[in-house]
Amino acid sequence: MREASDRGAGTLNETDGGRLFALTGATGFLGSHLMAGLIRAGHRVVVLGRSRNGTGLADRVDALLDWFGLESCRERIDAVEVDLLEPRLGLSRRRYDTLCPLTAGIIHCASDTRFSERCRRESMDINVAALHGIVTLARDAGAGCFHYVSTAYVCPTSPSLCAEVPAGPRAFANVYEEMKTLAEAEVAALCSRHAVPYTIVRPSIVYGDSATGRSNRFNALYYHVRALQLIRDIYLNDIEHHGGLRSRGAGIHLDDEGTLHLPLRIFIPRRGQVNLIPVDHFVAVMAEILGDPRTGTIYHVTSDAPRTTEELAGYCERFLRIRGIELVCGEEMDRTVQNPAEEVFNKLVKPYLPYLADTRRFDRRNTAKLTAGLSTPEMTYAVFERCMRYAVSVNWGSTNGRPPGAM
Amino acid sequence: MDEALRIAVNCRHYAMCKIDFLGTGVCPSGLAHHYVSFYPEGRMDLYAALAKHRVPVTEECVRIVESCDLCGRCDKQCCFITGLRPTRVMEALRSLVAAHLAAGRPVERPAGDLLLARIRDIVGERWATNDPAIRATYAHDPSPLALFRMPRYVILPGTREEVSSVVRLLRDAGVPWAARGNATNLMGFGFSEGAVLDLNRMKEMEFDEKNWCVKIGPGVTAFDLQREAAGRGYRVNVAEPAALVCASMMCAGIVSLFSTAYGASADSHVDAEFVATDGSFFSLNEKNAPNLYAFDRAGAESPGICCSLKVKLHPVTTDEGGVLVPFDSLEKAIDFSRECAVRRIGIAIGVLGTEYLSSFMSPSVRLALEIRDVLTGKLGMACAVLVLGDAYALGSIRAMGHPLIDQRLFTTLSLGLPSLAGAQWLDLVAALGEDEPFSYLKIGGFADLAETALCPSPSRLVQDFDPDLRQVYEEAYSRPDLTDLVWLNMFRITSSRVGREKHFLPFLMYLPLDHGLVSEVSGGLQAIAGAKGLKNALGFITPVDSGKRCILEYDYFLDQNDEGEIERMRQAAAEAGALIDDLSDRTGTIRWMRYIFQQGYCRKENLLYA
Ligand SMILES: Cc1cc2nc3c(=O)[nH]c(=O)nc-3n(C[C@H](O)[C@H](O)[C@H](O)COP(=O)(O)OP(=O)(O)OC[C@H]3O[C@@H](n4cnc5c(N)ncnc54)[C@H](O)[C@@H]3O)c2cc1C
Ligand SMILES: NC(=O)c1ccc[n+]([C@@H]2O[C@H](COP(=O)([O-])OP(=O)(O)OC[C@H]3O[C@@H](n4cnc5c(N)ncnc54)[C@H](OP(=O)(O)O)[C@@H]3O)[C@@H](O)[C@H]2O)c1
Ligand code: SF4
Repeated sequence: MREASDRGAGTLNETDGGRLFALTGATGFLGSHLMAGLIRAGHRVVVLGRSRNGTGLADRVDALLDWFGLESCRERIDAVEVDLLEPRLGLSRRRYDTLCPLTAGIIHCASDTRFSERCRRESMDINVAALHGIVTLARDAGAGCFHYVSTAYVCPTSPSLCAEVPAGPRAFANVYEEMKTLAEAEVAALCSRHAVPYTIVRPSIVYGDSATGRSNRFNALYYHVRALQLIRDIYLNDIEHHGGLRSRGAGIHLDDEGTLHLPLRIFIPRRGQVNLIPVDHFVAVMAEILGDPRTGTIYHVTSDAPRTTEELAGYCERFLRIRGIELVCGEEMDRTVQNPAEEVFNKLVKPYLPYLADTRRFDRRNTAKLTAGLSTPEMTYAVFERCMRYAVSVNWGSTNGRPPGAM
Repeated sequence: MDEALRIAVNCRHYAMCKIDFLGTGVCPSGLAHHYVSFYPEGRMDLYAALAKHRVPVTEECVRIVESCDLCGRCDKQCCFITGLRPTRVMEALRSLVAAHLAAGRPVERPAGDLLLARIRDIVGERWATNDPAIRATYAHDPSPLALFRMPRYVILPGTREEVSSVVRLLRDAGVPWAARGNATNLMGFGFSEGAVLDLNRMKEMEFDEKNWCVKIGPGVTAFDLQREAAGRGYRVNVAEPAALVCASMMCAGIVSLFSTAYGASADSHVDAEFVATDGSFFSLNEKNAPNLYAFDRAGAESPGICCSLKVKLHPVTTDEGGVLVPFDSLEKAIDFSRECAVRRIGIAIGVLGTEYLSSFMSPSVRLALEIRDVLTGKLGMACAVLVLGDAYALGSIRAMGHPLIDQRLFTTLSLGLPSLAGAQWLDLVAALGEDEPFSYLKIGGFADLAETALCPSPSRLVQDFDPDLRQVYEEAYSRPDLTDLVWLNMFRITSSRVGREKHFLPFLMYLPLDHGLVSEVSGGLQAIAGAKGLKNALGFITPVDSGKRCILEYDYFLDQNDEGEIERMRQAAAEAGALIDDLSDRTGTIRWMRYIFQQGYCRKENLLYA
């Protein structure tokens, strides 16, 4: 039985001080930061998740609490192993009932964030089909509000401001965008049917903590920087340990100041920008939304001053001590002869191009109304460097590096 | 256990010390004396037998010891395959016998007997013996299924007439016998309490190019035959390099990746001459010869001794090459291999498990384990399909659109293995395969980048070896052969590395090339070994007969000196046998090697479909 592996099953309730939220996706990037944020704010959290690679959910959550320095707050968390695709989330009736009431609300962060067409079925399952069970829980538990974490990229590319309104069908850049769009519509329909208040939160691309640089996931922005670093290291190693013959052949050399000249054209469809927000900002905005949810409202958690792709390329050069990145707009990359580094890097970034050369600008009125005085921290070089230094110091999380590609 | 004994009892008996596979020379004493006892393999057995007091110090024992000048050739050969250093055993053997002699202890000489004298009348004084030092080296192999069986006599006939006379004599004397090639069958065959007829002296090789064949004696190894054939611009279908070709035919009918194009069993030969168990002669092309082309599913007795075999020669084109096509599932790999076979693309096809692949490529156990983890863990490779063929075949494979490792990349990977294990950039590569597994292999610049990243270098590749051996291995790996997919598969000099970490017991069978059935068989075998705590892995799958059938090898591994593992292996082998028998009965299409043994000369169609 699932219950056996749960920790603190059914011990938290609304009378213990603070408010009691249920959270899915707490083992992921955004979810874990939300969990920490809620705990720090004095709330309690019922984490609905799963075991992974033989590690039970409770242990996974404990490890996260350790990472956040919240090891003393374990009793403020219930870890309940569920199957989001099963009726009653795969729980026995008795166990399911002990989850209720959850009057403060449910935050639904669990998502398959992969872009790949090969993942269509899993993506459909967890992103769309699973909504039925979790919204039903919201109804059964009398949740004050169901908060759905979506993505800003359900918005179509358009010259005008992307409004905080429901998104419609369009040509999607990938399965992920498509599923998140379907999911938003499903959330609205299910919540209306069950009379559950709901909000939809649409962050843009989230990176680590702007103040500390810390992060526990290294995909999206990190992934590209890491790719550049690894390519750089291949040539540095060749130059420093193997005579550099191959590097010279590819026109790559190290100058006297220790900067690697690495000619690398990145082919992007157009000039654009990358809309990035730090995770601390996302948590802060969520705190406001949770404090004062307005049902049916869509909130854009985005930056009004996104960095251009050129600026970010410059950050990368400076951080990695390389020169030679050139952004080539509009050219057909498949028709251009590329050097090996270019070929590999351009193939790597291909799925991310819609976000690396983005022209969307996001209306943030709903969010701004709620978060007056809370400005989006800018992605300055100092912040970039802080985050990347941290990433390097933990060897990019030394995971297998597969980017879930969450945006 | 002292180091010498530890090495000695770990000899795998793959007989690689009998062929000059590195060009570094074969034990001169072995070449001169022919008995396995004078080869490093036999010396290891002898040392173990002496150390365990199984045999006394005898005259032959002293001769064996004196004939070794500690030249060190065996280290170069053995270490390359097994990581063992036999000369430490040779030194210990020498010291042991020297101490025995210095102490004035006796050197025994076994009493002669009448039968031995009559055998010697036939084969000559030198070529038959009952000396225990020699007999002990013909008594066992590391197969968990083999019992220690000391023969009374070891006989090395030199001609088919001698074979015939010896067989008649033994029959009349009621002495059982077994023919012996190089005893690499891994199943514990080729032993007898009576006489062992070692056929290693009969090494004739006569090319008949007009008729596209070569007539060989039963002492010719696969390696030597392939080398001679290749030197003349041909190829033969042979299997394990140290195995004797006639023995291989008898045992399994020659199972190799080339069986895809060259066939199996009787497809490999034009004719064969036998000495029957009553000492009479027959050849397969005689109208009234015993019908060895037939196949009996219940198994068969030995038809006698094959004393010469006319092996087919196959043409070779100058544009041959190879590719490895990686797959993330066995099922997809099987489907691909079948597609190639059905379309008759390629001259050799094999679905290779990652255990196989990493063992073959890696010069040390350490690297093999690391590389296996990289292939499976980081790159998500379940197996790879090796295809050899001419430029048109390889062009077709490319046109089929699968990402592949071509010869250039294979060389890079092989010589860059030490950098591969710790290569962080592989994380990127793995991510690139999210939409289509291994699609990074399609990136034009990938091979270039891999070359820069891995810095392929024979000298770095051999760093795991003792310093005194590095130079010779560096030279070996600097030759194109050792990374050439075609050469490696023709000569298979690294294939016995599969038994380097642990000795292995292969389960070989023919079955339909159907991924459901193959998965059922390999899944069943995996479960049995897993339950017994035995390491196990898919070896290879090769399509035969235009992909209608395939040969599958699944391997169980054991520490050959661990009594517990030996016992568990025996139990597992029995269960595995029952499983295969059961599946064979149910499907009617599976042919297990156990029943093919002694019938390898049969017609493939009789074996597969009759
Ligand atoms: C690492 C490794 C990989 C292998 N891979 C393969 C493979 O891919 N394909 C394959 O087919 N085999 C393979 N084998 C098995 C082995 O090589 C064959 O079974 C081969 O028959 C053994 O040849 P041998 O000279 O060692 O014969 P032995 O083991 O000495 O003899 C094999 C059998 O044949 C009998 N015999 C020997 N010579 C004659 C003769 N002239 N006339 C009649 N009977 C005779 C013996 O009595 C014995 O029963 C492999 C073995 C090893 C160690
Ligand atoms: N990160 C960003 O930049 C970003 C930007 C915009 C929007 N978002 C949105 O924010 C949410 C969280 O993103 P993230 O970056 O935090 O993703 P993440 O790190 O990949 O985490 C995903 C979470 O979902 C869970 N999950 C996935 N499949 C599941 C399944 N089948 N059953 C149960 N749980 C499952 C995961 O659990 P396991 O750990 O057990 O796998 C994990 O907790 C998503 O909805 C995403 O669309 C993220
Ligand atoms: S050291 Fe002895 S056993 Fe080894 S190859 Fe030389 S002569 Fe043979």
